[in-house]
Amino acid sequence: MAEKSFETTSQVCCSTGSESLPILASPMESPLRKVLSRISGFVPSWGKKTAPPGRRIFHRDVEQDEFQNGTAHCLSSYYSVFVARLAIMVMLAILIGLLTVLTWHFTRVYTTKSLNTLAYGLRYELLQRPILRMWNILNSTSEITTAQVKLSEYVIRRYSKPTNQAEQIELYQMMKDITWALFASRKALNAITINYRNGFVQAFHRDHRSNNTFYIYSDLANYSISDTGSYDNKSQSSRQGWNDQFIHGNVSAIWYRQPLDPLTGEKIGKSSQIPPEDLINIAGPSQVPDGVASWHVAVSKYTDSPLLSAALPVWDASNKSIVAVVGVTTALYSVGQLMKELVEVHSGYIYLTSQEGYLLATSTNTPLLNNTAKGPKLMMAANSEDRVIRMGAQWLQKTYGNKFPPGHVVHVEKANLGGQHYYIDSFFLNLKRLPIVGVIIIPRKYIMGKVEERALKTLVILISASVCILAIGCVCILILTNGVSKEMKLRAELISHLDARRRAEASSNYKSQFLANMSHELRTPMAAVIGLLDILICDDCLTNEQYAMVTQIRKCSTALLRLLNNILDLSKVESGKLVLEEAEFDLGRELEGLVDMFSVQCINHNVETVLDLSDDIPKVVRGDSARVVQVFANLISNSIKFTTSGHIILRGWCENPNVSSDSGKFSPDQKKPMSALKTKLKHGNHMKKVSKKDNKMILWFEVDDTGCGIDPSKWESVFESFEQADPSTTRTHGGTGLGLCIVRTLVNKMGGEIKVVKKNGQGTLMRLFLLLSTPADGLEQQRQIDFAKHSVAVILALHGSMGRLIMSKWLSKNGVPTLEASEWNELTQILRELFHARTTNSGFDTHYSLAKPLRSKVQTLQDMKKLVYIIVVDLGLLDLSTEIWKEQLNFLDKFSGQVKFAWMLNHDTSNAIKMELRKKGHILMVNKPLYKAKMLHILEAVIKESYVEPQNRSPNGTKGTSKQGDSHECLEIDSTQFETCSSDDSDISEMTGANSVSSVGIREQLKEGTILKSGPPTLRNCLVEFTRLGLEVNNLRTEEDQCNGRPKFHDTKDVKCENPNSSEQPLVRSNVKDRDNSYTTNKAASEQKSLEGLRLLLAEDTPVLQRVATIMLEKMGAVVVAVGDGAQAVEALNCELDGDENRTNRLQTEICDSPPYDLILMDCQMPMMDGYEATKAIRKSEERTGWHVPIVALTAHAMSSDKEKCLKVGMDAYLTKPIDYKLMVSTILSLTKRSTKG
Amino acid sequence: MDLVQLQRQLVDYRTSLYHEGFLDEQFTQLKELQDENNPDFVVEVVSLFFEDSERLLNELSKALEQQVIDFKRIDAHVHQFKGSSSSIGAQRVQKLCIVFRNFCEAQNVEGCLKCLQQVKHEYSIVKTKLESMFQLERQILNAGGSVPV
Repeated sequence: MAEKSFETTSQVCCSTGSESLPILASPMESPLRKVLSRISGFVPSWGKKTAPPGRRIFHRDVEQDEFQNGTAHCLSSYYSVFVARLAIMVMLAILIGLLTVLTWHFTRVYTTKSLNTLAYGLRYELLQRPILRMWNILNSTSEITTAQVKLSEYVIRRYSKPTNQAEQIELYQMMKDITWALFASRKALNAITINYRNGFVQAFHRDHRSNNTFYIYSDLANYSISDTGSYDNKSQSSRQGWNDQFIHGNVSAIWYRQPLDPLTGEKIGKSSQIPPEDLINIAGPSQVPDGVASWHVAVSKYTDSPLLSAALPVWDASNKSIVAVVGVTTALYSVGQLMKELVEVHSGYIYLTSQEGYLLATSTNTPLLNNTAKGPKLMMAANSEDRVIRMGAQWLQKTYGNKFPPGHVVHVEKANLGGQHYYIDSFFLNLKRLPIVGVIIIPRKYIMGKVEERALKTLVILISASVCILAIGCVCILILTNGVSKEMKLRAELISHLDARRRAEASSNYKSQFLANMSHELRTPMAAVIGLLDILICDDCLTNEQYAMVTQIRKCSTALLRLLNNILDLSKVESGKLVLEEAEFDLGRELEGLVDMFSVQCINHNVETVLDLSDDIPKVVRGDSARVVQVFANLISNSIKFTTSGHIILRGWCENPNVSSDSGKFSPDQKKPMSALKTKLKHGNHMKKVSKKDNKMILWFEVDDTGCGIDPSKWESVFESFEQADPSTTRTHGGTGLGLCIVRTLVNKMGGEIKVVKKNGQGTLMRLFLLLSTPADGLEQQRQIDFAKHSVAVILALHGSMGRLIMSKWLSKNGVPTLEASEWNELTQILRELFHARTTNSGFDTHYSLAKPLRSKVQTLQDMKKLVYIIVVDLGLLDLSTEIWKEQLNFLDKFSGQVKFAWMLNHDTSNAIKMELRKKGHILMVNKPLYKAKMLHILEAVIKESYVEPQNRSPNGTKGTSKQGDSHECLEIDSTQFETCSSDDSDISEMTGANSVSSVGIREQLKEGTILKSGPPTLRNCLVEFTRLGLEVNNLRTEEDQCNGRPKFHDTKDVKCENPNSSEQPLVRSNVKDRDNSYTTNKAASEQKSLEGLRLLLAEDTPVLQRVATIMLEKMGAVVVAVGDGAQAVEALNCELDGDENRTNRLQTEICDSPPYDLILMDCQMPMMDGYEATKAIRKSEERTGWHVPIVALTAHAMSSDKEKCLKVGMDAYLTKPIDYKLMVSTILSLTKRSTKG
Repeated sequence: MDLVQLQRQLVDYRTSLYHEGFLDEQFTQLKELQDENNPDFVVEVVSLFFEDSERLLNELSKALEQQVIDFKRIDAHVHQFKGSSSSIGAQRVQKLCIVFRNFCEAQNVEGCLKCLQQVKHEYSIVKTKLESMFQLERQILNAGGSVPV
């Protein structure tokens, strides 16, 4: 059993499981999907930002499309999100569905079960009661019948043998009383009848409808006592006949009905004869054939309900014959009443039928009898007028037919009767001779109606609730996963972007890196080409055409190298490898050199180059001079490119709130950006005020040209790489468009800015500022000679109007009266005006008259009698094309007594003219253009001369002047040298045609110059003379040194000023030394043996290189000691230090304070100890001696950072491998010079 | 053999060396450095180069045979080799050295080995070429002629 039940339960489980799952899966899923799809449909409407992926879950088509658009690598993440969402939703749906079903199932099953139990009880109870009542009725009826019978027996026995009529009547009277008593006691009785054997009938009848009670009796006349015997005899045989005669056949009998008082039994009316058909049902002997009680259901016309009648025979004393038959009739009305009451309380229908199906009682008011012609008859339940009862009976009959289950007990819970469900229960009551079937029909609605309604409602509520929860859950999941997927997507995008950026950066970096690394590879062949061309140019065997061609090639390669340098510079800056140097340099000097250089180019262009630096610009600043110069070189060359006529002005001033005098020359609108920037750079200013040690200065510059100008829309873009204001300019002007880009990057790197500024008039105005620091003592050099004291006046006879204007302004500001003349005639006019007393004869036209303001100026000058006039004459004023210039010179010569002439020469001024000028005693010659420093030189020279002259003139005037000439020659050369020194790039140096000389020499020269100037001229004068002499001699030597292979450029007397002796040093020693070195060697030898007498230490590990370098150096006359690695180098140096006394006897006076080697060439990569380490060690050991042996690095890399590294460890210069012969020589020379001097 | 013919042959041979890229201007410079003070300068330097190279190549082969390869050391050797070869103007060797160093940097053993083979090959070629050139020169000198420049 247990197994079985287990099996069934498991089956149930399985079945419910298997049923519920598909049910969940299919019907739950599809509405879910619909709902969700609807939600997703309006999701975008309330969340504008909802990404389309949200929809992907439901719309595969959309999804497909989107995926095709989407990137491939997002696909997997989309799918995973999609699957995850779906899984979560399905799980949620299953969960909620299960919960719903279980809840519903349990509530429903248990209520139904309990309710069914209850309903069964109720039904049973309901039916039990009418049956009980029925039973009661039967019982009471039988009791009464029995009682009547017993009483009748008793009475009849007393009067057993009525002898006479009176006795008979007495008996009947007695019977009547007894019967009445019984009848009265039972109100429910319908009738009691006594049918005597003789046919006499006594009956009491109660009409319930009219509430009348009647006594019915038959006429006595027909009956005799005698009949009794006969009756007795033939009792057995004629019973049937008696009976028939009694009831129907006894037509002769007359029936009387007497109404009685229902309570007392008194006669209240007259007895009346009634027809036999009105007679009530009177039980006869036929009904008791066996002599036992019998039951049957009868109908009467007085009642509309069936009657239950019982009949019992009354036996005589001997108990052998039936004396009378007592019949008791009870209406079943009360049963119906009870049923009605019951049904009123509980709805439903109850009916009782006989076994045959005749209706006995119903709970309805429908009639139970059929009125037929023969009188009322019992009705079949199936024919009942009540619909429900009829249908119930029919249903029972249909279902069971005649085969009722045993005991007639049927319990049907769900019988469909006319569209409604009913409970039908039937019970069988087995009475003797009257089996009764009770049927109860209760509408299911009554019991289960509420429950089912509730169950339905619960189900609906549950389903709707679960659907709601599901929908909300799905939306939540959707939103959550949406966020996650969005985040994922964003993250993926971010990652891919980062990746792309990294890759882009890397590739850009690679490019720059590549270019930067290529610098060596690119520059080396170019350097080789240029070097070889130089050699070729020096070759004597070239024809003129060949020479021209080679020169052309040389130019082209220079241009190519310049271009390469530009690109490499740019890439260097971009790759972050550009390191700015931080060294002191003379800014003014550099710029002057630059202007000098470009003026050569400009003169050909008929463009004037003017340098206009304000006086407050510090003389010495710290920074990368080469880069600063590069900035201005690029700017100026750019300007020159686009300027065909007019001028190019390089202005410079210092950002200083105190200086207001100079800013006068800028228009207010120009000052505006300055003030704006001032606030921006307040920090810098602040710094300047706070710390004097490291002054950061803002230096402003302007490059102003009168070229074609730049369209304002291009003002920004011209600084982009490869950008040109007008692409067509490439053809006319050439260039790569890199120049300005480099300028901007460099300026930015120096902490400045550059931009194009609006300009009045034609041309372009570029303005930039640089943030440069000045050394603490830099400002102290800002001294000026008070020229006003010296009472000099200047006549500027110059072509360029701009330069003249600026110069005269500056002079006037410094208290020097100036006159201006732009052409020859004007000059003569002025001269005549000034010195008309002395000009007796003039071969030139005098019809030029001076302009009014000029004349007044002249007159004021004339008033100041003691003035020393300086006339700065542009050689271009003279007519050089013909021989007139000589006459013009003669004319000017006349004034040489009163005035000093300073000649402005062009770079290509022929030697003949110079000679002529010198012959005439015009010894102040300066190359164009004229700028402040040159003017100062002129002024100082003149002032000095004016002091010296009185002393020198008397002994030998000519000699004096010649000496002066020499000194001024120096001045002239000085200026050419500026061109040289300021140009760091080889190309620029090539353009100006000067040789490359380190700026050290110039600085020395400069220093000397300033000292000379600063000292009181009268006291120093003598010394100066001698110094000059020595200087001159020395210059001769160095010139020859520098002449290596370039005699061409030195058609003017190129004098080098690498003066080894400064004014502080003993003059004699240096002179002697110089003579030793230079005068004893002839020119050829000095060309070869430029390194004569130098002791060099070569540290190089590669034997081949070592050998090559040694031979190279030895060929130039140097003494070379070669060592294999850094350690040996250090050792060699220390050895030499110890054995100082054994050294060569060269320069014996210096033994005690000079290092053993003049220079060390150090390979950077060496075994044991590399060049950097060795240098560090050497520098360390030097600390105790105080020397500084120059160390030149030899590296295979040409990067600035390598250079940086070399310089950091204490090296002085560096050379790249393979060793360039010339570069090495020049480097060594420059370094050894400095060291011997220092 | 005729002296003039020998001289021409030497010149041709030398130009071919330049043309084929075995030598470059560095070798020319080297020749320029040779004078009466150092009459055998070029030969001297070149033989120095041979010695040095053979040593370096041996070192390199050994280093590359090691289980654990010391790339730094190899790089130093190659660097040295590059320097010496560039000094005598053996530019093909030099270029290979640059490639070699790149492989070194990338720590690519196979590339290094391959490069080593190539370098050895190039080196042997340049060696034979130079030796035959010197042979020619010697022949000329023995014949009493001067080496054409």
